[in-house]
Amino acid sequence: MVPPVRVSIRGLSKTFGEGPREVPAVSDVSFDVREGEFVAIVGPSGCGKSTVLNMVGGLVAPSAGEIVVDGQPVRGGPPSTVGYVFQKDTVFPWRTVQDNIALGLEYRGVAPAQRAARVREAVALAGLQGFEEAFPATLSGGMRQRVALMRTLVVDPQILLMDEPFGALDTHTKLNLHAELLGLWQARRQTVIFVTHDLSEAITLADRIVVMTRRPGRVKRLYDVELPRPRDVIAIRESEQYLREYGLIWHALGEEFLAAPGAA
Amino acid sequence: MRRERLAVLGWQLLILLVVLVAWQYLTGIKAISRTPGLYWIDPFFISRPSAIAERFVYLMSPRARLTIWQMALSTVQSTVWGFLVGISTGFVAGLVLGRSDRLARVLEPYIVAFNSLPRIALVPLITMIFGFGLLAKIVLAWSIVFFIVFFNTFQGTRSVDADLIHSARFLGASERQIMTTVIVPSALAWTFASLTPSISFALIGVVVGEFIGGESGGGLGYLIVQSLGTLNAADMMVALVVLGAIGIVMALGIRQVEARLLRWRPEYRKR
Repeated sequence: MVPPVRVSIRGLSKTFGEGPREVPAVSDVSFDVREGEFVAIVGPSGCGKSTVLNMVGGLVAPSAGEIVVDGQPVRGGPPSTVGYVFQKDTVFPWRTVQDNIALGLEYRGVAPAQRAARVREAVALAGLQGFEEAFPATLSGGMRQRVALMRTLVVDPQILLMDEPFGALDTHTKLNLHAELLGLWQARRQTVIFVTHDLSEAITLADRIVVMTRRPGRVKRLYDVELPRPRDVIAIRESEQYLREYGLIWHALGEEFLAAPGAA
Repeated sequence: MRRERLAVLGWQLLILLVVLVAWQYLTGIKAISRTPGLYWIDPFFISRPSAIAERFVYLMSPRARLTIWQMALSTVQSTVWGFLVGISTGFVAGLVLGRSDRLARVLEPYIVAFNSLPRIALVPLITMIFGFGLLAKIVLAWSIVFFIVFFNTFQGTRSVDADLIHSARFLGASERQIMTTVIVPSALAWTFASLTPSISFALIGVVVGEFIGGESGGGLGYLIVQSLGTLNAADMMVALVVLGAIGIVMALGIRQVEARLLRWRPEYRKR
C-alpha cells in the first residue's frame, strides 16, 4: 500500500525582479512527497532550493505552477499543518527556553497546565533540562537550534519544512542533532522536506534526495536512499552502501558545482 | 575584587576631599595686595564649601520661605510626570507610525521640523499656555522625552526581524498575537534602551522651565534664577548640588529598571 501524497509540487517557477533585471530563480520544479517520507533537497548555493521551500510554506508566492498540500493549494500564508525550522536563529531572545517552546501552544490557546506538561516533555526530549529558565543569549548555537526544533515539534505539525537548520553548526553538534532529529522523526513520522547543501547530511537523514541544478534551479534527478532504518548517524558513514550512494549523487552534484558561474 | 573596589572608592573620596579643602582654603586667603575684598579666588563668584553648607542648613529649616525640600519635590514631580507621560505617548506613537507606512510618510516632515526646534525656544510659549504651575514644566519635559522615545520605538518597530514574524505565523499566531508577542516586545527593547537618556533630558526640560516659571511651582531652577537676581552664589551651589543628587539617583534607578527589563540581553547579564 502506497501512502498518500501530502505535498505535491507542480511546475513550480519563481522569478525575482522585473524587466531587464529579471532573475529566474526556480524553473519548472515538480515532485511529490508522500506521507511519512523524509525528502532532502540538495543543490549548489543559489540554486533556489530555499525558495522552493519558502513557496511550499506560503512565504513566497510562485510565479508559475502550484503547490498542493493535502489537496489544498497553498496561497498567501502557511498551511496550518505545516511547521518550519529556519536556518537563521529565530528563537525569541526575550523569552526563556520554556517560554519559547510554549509559543505555539500559547497561540493555539492550550490551557496553561497542559501547556506546562507538554513543554516539560519537549524540554526532556531535547535534553534541555536545567536550561528551562535560561535566555537564548546564554545558550550555544546548537542548543538554540534545539529550542527552535522543539518549539516547532511541540505543536505536532504533520508536515515539517526545514531550511538548512543545522547549516551554521559545527560537525560534532550537527551529528548529535541528526541523531536527535532521526529519533524524534522515527517516533512521529512527520512528512519532512529538508533543504541542505551538505550531501552527507541529506543521505544520513532522507529517504529520497532531490538534486537541483544551478540557477535557475530545476530538478536534475531524484535518488532513493535505500539505507535501512533506524540509522546510526556515525556508523552509517562507514557502510558500503552509504559510500556507494554518496559517490553516485556526488557525481551529479559535482557537475552543478563545477558549472556554477564564478566557481573557483 | 572587593579590595579593588575599596581602593577605587578610597581614591574617589580623596579627590572629593582635596577639591573641597582647596576650595575652602583658596577662597579664604587674601591676595598680596591690601585692597579689601580681593581674594586669590573670589568667593563672590563660586562661594565656599562652608558658606554653602550654612545656606543648605538654612534652606532645609522651616525658617526659609520655600524650603529646599519643597523645591526639590517640585522638580522631581515635574520630571517624573514628564518622563512617564513622555515614554507612554512616545511608545504608542512610535508603534503606530512604525506599523503604518502611509501615516509615517505623511507626518514625517512635521515630526522632523518639531524635533529640530530647540525646545528651550518653546518655554515662553508653553508657560503662556499652561501657566506658571507644574503643568508647564511637565509639558516641556514631555516634549523632549516624547521624541527620544518615539524615534527609538519607531526604529524598533521598523526593524523587527521578518523571520521572527514568519516563525510566529508558522506556529499558528494570529495577526493580533504577532503584534503582542513579536512586534511589541522587539520594539520595547529599543524603547527601554532610551529610558536613561530620557530621564536626564526630562530633568533638563524641567529646570529650564523653572528658570522662567516663577515662584508658584518653582523648583530648583527657580532657586537658581532667584539667586542670580540676588547675586547669591551659595544658594546657586546648593541648588546645583541637590540637582546633581537627584540626577544621580534617578539615573541609577532607571538603570536598574532597564537592566531588569532587558535581562535577556547579553550586555546586561554581566552585573
